[in-house]
Amino acid sequence: MTDYLLRVVIKMAVTLFAIVTVTFVATRLSGNPIDTFLGEGLTDEGRDALIAYFQLDRSIWHQYVAYLRGVVSGEFGLSFIERRPVTQVVAARLWPSAQLLLASIGLTAAVSIPLGVLAALYRKSWIGSAVMVVAFSGYAVPNFVLAVVMILTFSYWLNWLPVVGNGTALHFIMPTIAMSGVLIAALTRFTRNAMLDVLGQDFIRTARAKGLPELAVVMRHGLGNAGVTVISVIGLQIASLAAAGSVVVETIFSWPGIGQLLVTAAIMRDYPVLQFGVIAVAVAVVLINAITDVAYALVDPRIRLARS
Amino acid sequence: MTGLADIVARHRRRRAGAAAGGDIIQRIALLLAVLLAAAAILTPLIAPFDPLDQSLISRLRPPAGFDRASPGHLFGTDELGRDVLSRALYGMRLTLTLAFVGALIGLCLGGTLGVIAGLRRGWLEDAIMALVDMQIAIPFTLVALLVLAVLGSNVTVLVLVLGVAGWEQYARIVRAEVRRLTGQPFIEAARAAGAGTVYIARRHLLPNVVSPLVVQFTLALSNIVILESTLSFLGLGVQPPQPSLGSMVGLGRDYMPTAPWIVLAPAALIVTLTFTVQILGDWLRDRADVRLQER
Amino acid sequence: MFRLLLTTALAAGLAPAAFAQEITVGAANVAPFLDPGRDHSNVGSQFYFNSFDTLIDRDHSKLEPEWTPALATSWTLIDPTVMELKLREGVSFHNGEAMTADDVVFSLNRMFQATFPPYVVRSKDRLNNFTSAEKIDNYTVRIHAGREEPLWETLVSLQQIMIIPEEYTKALTGDPKVAEDSDFEAFSLAPVGTGPYSVAEFLPGERIVWERFDDFWGDKAPLQRATVVQIAETASRVTALKTGEADIITNVAPDQLSLIDSDPNLKTEGSVTALFHVMIMNANHPALKDPRTRQAMSYAIDRDTLNEALWLGKAVVPSTHTMKEFGDLYMPELTTFEYNPEKAKDLLKEAGYDGGEIVYTSFPTYYTNGLLAAQAIAEMWSAVGINAKVDVQEKWTGRDPQMMARNWSNPMYFADPFGSFGVMWAPGGPSESEGRFNTDEEYAAKWERFRFSTDVEVRKAAYAELMDEIKQDPPVLPLYRPFESWGMKKSVNWAPMPGHIPYVLDFRAGSISLADS
Repeated sequence: MTDYLLRVVIKMAVTLFAIVTVTFVATRLSGNPIDTFLGEGLTDEGRDALIAYFQLDRSIWHQYVAYLRGVVSGEFGLSFIERRPVTQVVAARLWPSAQLLLASIGLTAAVSIPLGVLAALYRKSWIGSAVMVVAFSGYAVPNFVLAVVMILTFSYWLNWLPVVGNGTALHFIMPTIAMSGVLIAALTRFTRNAMLDVLGQDFIRTARAKGLPELAVVMRHGLGNAGVTVISVIGLQIASLAAAGSVVVETIFSWPGIGQLLVTAAIMRDYPVLQFGVIAVAVAVVLINAITDVAYALVDPRIRLARS
Repeated sequence: MTGLADIVARHRRRRAGAAAGGDIIQRIALLLAVLLAAAAILTPLIAPFDPLDQSLISRLRPPAGFDRASPGHLFGTDELGRDVLSRALYGMRLTLTLAFVGALIGLCLGGTLGVIAGLRRGWLEDAIMALVDMQIAIPFTLVALLVLAVLGSNVTVLVLVLGVAGWEQYARIVRAEVRRLTGQPFIEAARAAGAGTVYIARRHLLPNVVSPLVVQFTLALSNIVILESTLSFLGLGVQPPQPSLGSMVGLGRDYMPTAPWIVLAPAALIVTLTFTVQILGDWLRDRADVRLQER
Repeated sequence: MFRLLLTTALAAGLAPAAFAQEITVGAANVAPFLDPGRDHSNVGSQFYFNSFDTLIDRDHSKLEPEWTPALATSWTLIDPTVMELKLREGVSFHNGEAMTADDVVFSLNRMFQATFPPYVVRSKDRLNNFTSAEKIDNYTVRIHAGREEPLWETLVSLQQIMIIPEEYTKALTGDPKVAEDSDFEAFSLAPVGTGPYSVAEFLPGERIVWERFDDFWGDKAPLQRATVVQIAETASRVTALKTGEADIITNVAPDQLSLIDSDPNLKTEGSVTALFHVMIMNANHPALKDPRTRQAMSYAIDRDTLNEALWLGKAVVPSTHTMKEFGDLYMPELTTFEYNPEKAKDLLKEAGYDGGEIVYTSFPTYYTNGLLAAQAIAEMWSAVGINAKVDVQEKWTGRDPQMMARNWSNPMYFADPFGSFGVMWAPGGPSESEGRFNTDEEYAAKWERFRFSTDVEVRKAAYAELMDEIKQDPPVLPLYRPFESWGMKKSVNWAPMPGHIPYVLDFRAGSISLADS
């Protein structure tokens, strides 16, 4: 076990290093950021002066070394656009994003697992189909369309819910639903399939043949084994949720989150923010994946055996 | 003993019933898929207008039947007076092409890497899995943004980016399955009997991975359609004036309170497409499963 | 007796609301930093007027400049190149410091003799003629110019030389006696000025909170508190106005006006902005070297139809690069730009246009209707036979030699043609520096006369000559002055004023009031 953990940690470190380097190189390949966030209306001298001021005139290698040196000593630089330390900029946004993510996971788990089990058990009846249709709709509708429709309904016409920021519990409702749509659909379907896989296997038939009631069979054996797949799926999905879903929701609801920060930093070439933000998110996600991997290994005896 | 045989037989019959397409939803999905595919192929013939044809004096006109509707425009006009229906049809064509090609790229890339990772232990497997972790760790939208920013958001780059979007899911599935199989006694037996790797892959690996891969492929198709619309929301998808379902929804969202038909037409197509693909994917999976049972 | 008690109770209940006047503004963009010296963006210009003052101000309710005393109570030209100003006594900064000549000299010289690169950039293009500010005594300063300056008051009232506190700024980082670059960076995150509102809270890109400054030297601020929150998404911004989460919203596009106007509790206020949306063309691009090609690109564009279609006819299409705000120097009699598709076709033929692609680049969302106009223009070009293509880019491509044509804006930084055409199209200015515009000695000579003559008629004649030059060899086409609108509750009495630079959110006394019904 310790051997495995060590490998995981080393893998994490290497991954992070690779991510940082790739981000660094990729962003600098796309041209000088001055042209994006400050570009227009500058004379040649003005532009040169600004480039020198932001230290963008040095070679990529030079900048890379300076950056790594800074990272080691805890200095991640100032945002090009906001002119305050990127650690501050990103830290201010991490908690609101985390809150939204946790709320989404909570909602998803609470909704998908029961729905998935239901859909598996009632596969042949209309209930199963109806459940899958409802689950699918979270998937089929682009989340910003869902978000805008919700805003128009619940804020604009009914005036029940607020649309700006993250002040109160009410503020959480629409963004969480918008974020969770895709996850609910995916997880419901995976739960259903995992349940079906398990339900068709030998030991289930054995249990049934033994005369045990259907529900007991499901709960005892099905859920346990299906749980393994579900855990790994949650791990896989969190990352895609972390950014693809969040930037859209954050922009529409003026939610001060990290997804929108990173996307804006990427578009506007605010390198220091982008690099630090990517590191922060990558650390979080890699950690979650590592935990998931360990949990998976602990729970599934077959994998453990195969590994040795 | 009769009890057990009964139970097994009942189980088999239920699954066979599913395979025969007795479910009405599956039939509807199949019909829709055929209709949509036909529409996509025949678009140049059935679209009433040129999707790029502007008419600045008839902007933002509602669909036929409403006040101020412009004649000939069944679904109204958009912010530059272009026909929404025609744009939606051409948009679906482009989006479907992007999605299929992209999903195929992901499947081939991910599947291959997954097999390699599963079979060849050691540093190669570690390298591939590290790539997978990297892919998962960096939010893919960000990667897509950077790539599109560096290389420009033309259609080729977009397809590659969309294709690469899901590869790690395939890789993980295939690798997990390969590892699971490698430990099984009947594989050892087959090898001992002289079976080559390719034969084993075809006979034993493929049937086992087909099911999750198909499901993943359908997920990927839907994913790509949605990813494309997200990229358009951020201004990085298919560039105007060319229509795609995603860019129509992304660029038209400002008009949702005042001219909702601009978004509703492509959104309805996205929803229909995604539903159809998902349901058919599930149905395919069930069929593959039945065949598995009968082996 | 009971009725009296009831009325008193009611009055007591209502009274607090009347005193604590607060509003929330939903802005499309909140500035990422707040320093009036380094900023010339349209986003930033919304926020400085409430917290900072200049030495000389003007009556913003009037189109024609009428100069009024602000932090300077009087001023005279003691020499053609020296202006002496007497400062107002008893002025406090938001942090309690008293304003003296030291602060004024500090604020001015940080721009006139700039070493901090972001200041250098701003001062070069419009404050070039000022060499230094000199303290004569605690309440008297002199501003020295390099040569005779026809635009003294105009330039002294610029946002870039709003007055900031010397001691506070220097003490922000490092050595409290020295103004380091890091001090200026820190200032832009914690700004302090002399205006009627202090910046109580500033979260870059998210929120600004203004609070009434009780020691303000002029008329007290009408609002106790004003909060600006960023609501980037249009649908969310309009919804926030409807739900009451915002009392005023910015950047309402013409297509959204009917939505707000149709609501009985809401209204819109708009004005023709003192700014041009322009199309610029790269005179040095191999395919566009022949001026006739660029003339054709210009003649092919039907700006009036763009106005009708995209702006409900509320934008103003200029015949030359001029604005009413210029007063005596407003020259609508010149016709430098017009729509003539037949002439465009002829010119293309004369120039031997080979059918190569001509690309119009556009920002995706920066300019209202910018992308729509780009697509419409591409269509108009196709109509005269140009192989047109639209390219959407977040990047500024003005200095890219591959750039052919793109959208841009020429704001009116101050009320004079020098403050609009001048800043961008000077010899050696931003456009020429970027390599897409060429000037020669003739142009430079005409420029001299236009910029530095003290005779208005000489300046006008020179400007007419400059306009002729850009008609013959076009680098730019002003499309229109956009009509920008704000949405607000009917109970808010506020409207953009004609005497301001574009987009200013002016909440000073006399500019805003809330009707409590």
